[in-house]
Amino acid sequence: MNALIIFALLIVLMLSGMPISIALGLTVLTFLFTMTDVPVQAVALKLFTGIEKFEIMAIPFFILAGNFLTHGGVARRMITFATSMVGHWHGGLALSGVMACALFAAVSGSSPATVVAIGSILLPAMIKQGYPKSFGAGVITTSGALGILIPPSIVMVMYSVSTNTSVGKLFVAGVIPGLLLAFFLGLTTWVLARRKDYPRMPRSTWLQRWQAFRESIWGLLLILVVMGGIYSGIFTPTEAAAMSAVYAFVIAVFVYRDLRLVQIGKVLLDSASMSAMLLYIITNAVLFSFLMTSEGIPQAMAGWIMDKGLGQISFLLVVNLLLLLAGNVMEPSSIVLIMAPILFPVAVALGVDPVHFGIIMVVNMEIGMCHPPVGLNLYVASGITKMGISELTVAVLPWLFTMLGFLLLITYVPQLSLWLPRLLFGG
Amino acid sequence: MKFLDHLEEWFIAFLMAAATLIIFVAVIHRYASGLPIPVVQDFLLRLNTSWAQELTIYLFVWMAKFGAAYGVRTGIHVGVDVLINRLNTPLKKKFILFGLLAGASFTGIIAALGADFVYELSGTSSTSEVLELPIWIVYLAIPLGSCLMCFRFLQVSWNFARGGELPVHDHAHVEGLVEDAAEGRQ
Repeated sequence: MNALIIFALLIVLMLSGMPISIALGLTVLTFLFTMTDVPVQAVALKLFTGIEKFEIMAIPFFILAGNFLTHGGVARRMITFATSMVGHWHGGLALSGVMACALFAAVSGSSPATVVAIGSILLPAMIKQGYPKSFGAGVITTSGALGILIPPSIVMVMYSVSTNTSVGKLFVAGVIPGLLLAFFLGLTTWVLARRKDYPRMPRSTWLQRWQAFRESIWGLLLILVVMGGIYSGIFTPTEAAAMSAVYAFVIAVFVYRDLRLVQIGKVLLDSASMSAMLLYIITNAVLFSFLMTSEGIPQAMAGWIMDKGLGQISFLLVVNLLLLLAGNVMEPSSIVLIMAPILFPVAVALGVDPVHFGIIMVVNMEIGMCHPPVGLNLYVASGITKMGISELTVAVLPWLFTMLGFLLLITYVPQLSLWLPRLLFGG
Repeated sequence: MKFLDHLEEWFIAFLMAAATLIIFVAVIHRYASGLPIPVVQDFLLRLNTSWAQELTIYLFVWMAKFGAAYGVRTGIHVGVDVLINRLNTPLKKKFILFGLLAGASFTGIIAALGADFVYELSGTSSTSEVLELPIWIVYLAIPLGSCLMCFRFLQVSWNFARGGELPVHDHAHVEGLVEDAAEGRQ
């Protein structure tokens, strides 16, 4: 009964359009004032202690690192490199779009920024070569979402915070699914391009490839700083994030010279306000899950599902549908923070591996970014291509189906996510 | 008012930079003090950086509370607007105002609760674990930040109610793109 009231209140407040953090907080306050005798004082304390964990601090550092490198110059280098590698195949420019999106998204950490950066450079070039506008828009919109699966990923840090799963393992687990999804998106592009006979680019020489690689490697090394640092045990994940922020600063200012020193203040301010927004959702989500736990809701749900005899397979299917539905209305971080504490205990009770469950959630978030009606990537893409949402919806369909197929693959073949972390970390 | 705006911006940007530098220095220190360089190693070993982690957390908590207030002013806190976007304009306006005022009342309540909490703590002698700062000063971030946030919510709703524009944050802003592409995004 209480569970119903809590959820109904939360959903009504959210649908009224107020910020998600406020809706969460007001739900908790209303419930505490009217229905329980948990001391309200505890709320104020939770507001502080909710984010008083060193692990959470990886989020602002990763955002800062990403913002230093979210620059047109970096995007151009990634595109040049990608084109020199895959441009000579069928649909050359579109394929380099997939690859450049994967690289830029991993480094910048923001899907919408990737769509804008890669899209506004690559789409005009594609149209000039004779590609239909919708083809280019479909490729960039969907590939832009690759970033949250390829480490470092902020959504993964969110998941690890709300379920106490190791960030390092999650990052490593995302590598193979990330590369695989990039491969599948590329394959879809290649098959379509071959059938329609879209233009190819002249093959680059190895010298050109080497030069393009040398230009883009500085940005890509960021991934290595994070992964290498965490895996070898030199840094904790949060330290790795801070080091990557300093590294990104040095690269952007002294190596690439994209940023002038006067612009640093702006980057700091933007990163701070973006992090503060996320940390504010985290604090209120912690309050909310504190309320849920004190009402015993996740446990009750786990018990109910076990009673129904719902197996792993059908549970994961329900989870996927639920997350895709949520992906329609909210952005990834909020979904993970609200849903993970509720679904995680059930998943664990049914024997799903915590890391695997995290990867399933992240892939769902990725699809949510680009499926209609309100995927954020769709909106951004509609801005740069001046195409309507319904027109874009048709344009992304081939890649969207590829992603849905990929989701099923990831859900029911746990080895894809678990093989690499098991190999590296044991267990 | 302009002064408060600038102070807020400088404060959170400074906290962000400070936290990054502190962790960077602490990590460098940890590895540098392992290097067997005669005088330098002795010097480095005498420095203690165990406070770095705690200080970073406190800097970020302060940044989070004041940054959230700055975010209200720039419209970075987004909600679910699928439903209200389908409503006609006057009704939508009412819902937006309701959301803003809900924000103001939530942050107002939290500010009051937090102030009460900090007041009680100030009577005790509890301190933080490593830095041994009086804990009530650290927790002062809650009432101060929430107060500022409440003020920002009221400010935005006042402007909006009088026919002003709602601040909108552009999540997809990228520096350094060519001009015509930037116009295409409008």
